[in-house]
Amino acid sequence: MKNLKTDVVEASSTDSTPALTGGAGVSSAFEALFLEHWSQVYRALCRLVGDPAEAEDLALETFVRLYQRYPWREAGTNPGGWLHRVATNLGLHSIRGWKRREHYELTAGKYALEETPEARPAEILAQAEERRLVRLALAQMNERQSQLLILRHSGSSYREIAEALDLAPASIGPLLVRAEREFEKRYRALAKEDL
Amino acid sequence: MKRHLTDGELRAALDGELDAQSLGHLEDCADCLARQSQLQAKQTQTASRLAFLTPADEPAPVPQKAWARFSQRLSIKKETSMFKKIFAFPVVRFGAAALVILALVLAFPGTRALAGELLNLFRIQQVTAVPVDFTGLEQLTGDGALGNQFTELISNSVNMTDEPGEPVEAADAAQASQLAGFNVRLPQSHTPSQIYVTDSAAFSMTVDRAKAQALLDEAGRGDLVLPESVDGADISVTIPSSVSAAYGTCPKPEADSSKAEDEGSPNRRYPDCVILAQIPSPSVNAPADLDINQLAQIGLEFTGMTAEEAASFTSTVDWTSTLVVPIPSNSANYEQVSVDGVTGTLIQRPSREGEPTTFALLWVKDGIVYAISGLGDHAEQALEMANSLP
Repeated sequence: MKNLKTDVVEASSTDSTPALTGGAGVSSAFEALFLEHWSQVYRALCRLVGDPAEAEDLALETFVRLYQRYPWREAGTNPGGWLHRVATNLGLHSIRGWKRREHYELTAGKYALEETPEARPAEILAQAEERRLVRLALAQMNERQSQLLILRHSGSSYREIAEALDLAPASIGPLLVRAEREFEKRYRALAKEDL
Repeated sequence: MKRHLTDGELRAALDGELDAQSLGHLEDCADCLARQSQLQAKQTQTASRLAFLTPADEPAPVPQKAWARFSQRLSIKKETSMFKKIFAFPVVRFGAAALVILALVLAFPGTRALAGELLNLFRIQQVTAVPVDFTGLEQLTGDGALGNQFTELISNSVNMTDEPGEPVEAADAAQASQLAGFNVRLPQSHTPSQIYVTDSAAFSMTVDRAKAQALLDEAGRGDLVLPESVDGADISVTIPSSVSAAYGTCPKPEADSSKAEDEGSPNRRYPDCVILAQIPSPSVNAPADLDINQLAQIGLEFTGMTAEEAASFTSTVDWTSTLVVPIPSNSANYEQVSVDGVTGTLIQRPSREGEPTTFALLWVKDGIVYAISGLGDHAEQALEMANSLP
């Protein structure tokens, strides 16, 4: 019933996560999977949240969740879609946080200025403001619609989107039309609020 | 093909995802082409707004370094998950973040009450609620940078000396009493669907003042200054075996809430669940020179109280004998009620934003802390259950 331990660092036999391979870390199979998908997940989050530090933090959390929950050891499973879905969910959740929204307002302009020093500051700030509104609009929409737009506009094919969101490929077109209408409606409402 | 294409099909055509047969129709249909043109204008506008989502060649952190950070985070999560497990008891789970519970548990040993090198702590004799703003706590317990910093602080400071183990099922009150080591009381008028006994747990921790202060600073509360005396303070906490009796359809007691978030609304899964939990009072040892009132005041100010409000509340609470349960100030209410021959506290959180109504009835009798909690409007049932205990 009870394991008496002297140090919390020891791995627990009652933990539901897959076993760690001693003190060396996680299994090599998961490491290979991590290295394969890391850059893609990080970049997707960086574009979505606009803050490299936050993106890295969320990307790490995405992989922790994959490790803890996804049956990644089962043959034939492709975690790419799962990772995309969870990463964008975490990104959207992060954007929804009011504390972080303030943070984005401050950092969006800063990073944009750093990245394109040759452009005029007024233009950069206008672009940053537009991205902020886009992010807010995405965060306000229902989760599946946001996911659809993000995945599609990140270059995913209909088949990849269908796999990631567990949808029929034939339904992607109609759902995209509805999602884009909803996005425009929310974006315009936010832009109007800002005037 | 005579049927005109739907908007969805026209959209798929724009993305090069339409099947050949439908595409054939589109090429020959002026009506469909006109509609597609309108759709394309809207799609182009949206695409221009979302253009920043398009993959570019921006540098990502080196995968190998990211892997090292991932391994470290996974290790820390593992350590803290065991720490959090001992707080699975409903009394401390109800609507409260682990931090406040920890702060308040640590706040129990009052320097006023006991002297000597170690305080041989408290027994809970009463329960009170304190409305607090959970915004700061959510920052600390969330998945963001501050949450990770807090998690790391806990994992570096805490040493589990007695892990709680998995709960074991008991057939009835008699067996539960035998397993838990105290007299378990269950209402005779109700039949539990399951009874679980969770073994005792214990941990010790050494306070790292610099890191804890850095955490407050990071949270934007640099105005709250931890006293020098907390640095290096060794604190040990012992939590006795507890018993949970479930009535209706309930989750198993070991269920980790962080893993259940994708499983749908608890209102749908456990609409009639009521849990009666009971546990002998935990005990805490802490250095005698720890200024508990000062720490309690800092904790209360962190949760949104003004310095005056925190001082006022601290002065009214006997920290050596009171279990202080934080409740969200903007979404829950509480009242003192007469229950089981003593005065208890009934906390209710009305339904909002799709979350179900929740309630918890807390009281202490003969050194045992009792809690009846559940979903929905069953507070009356909770009082009736409590008053029918043998």
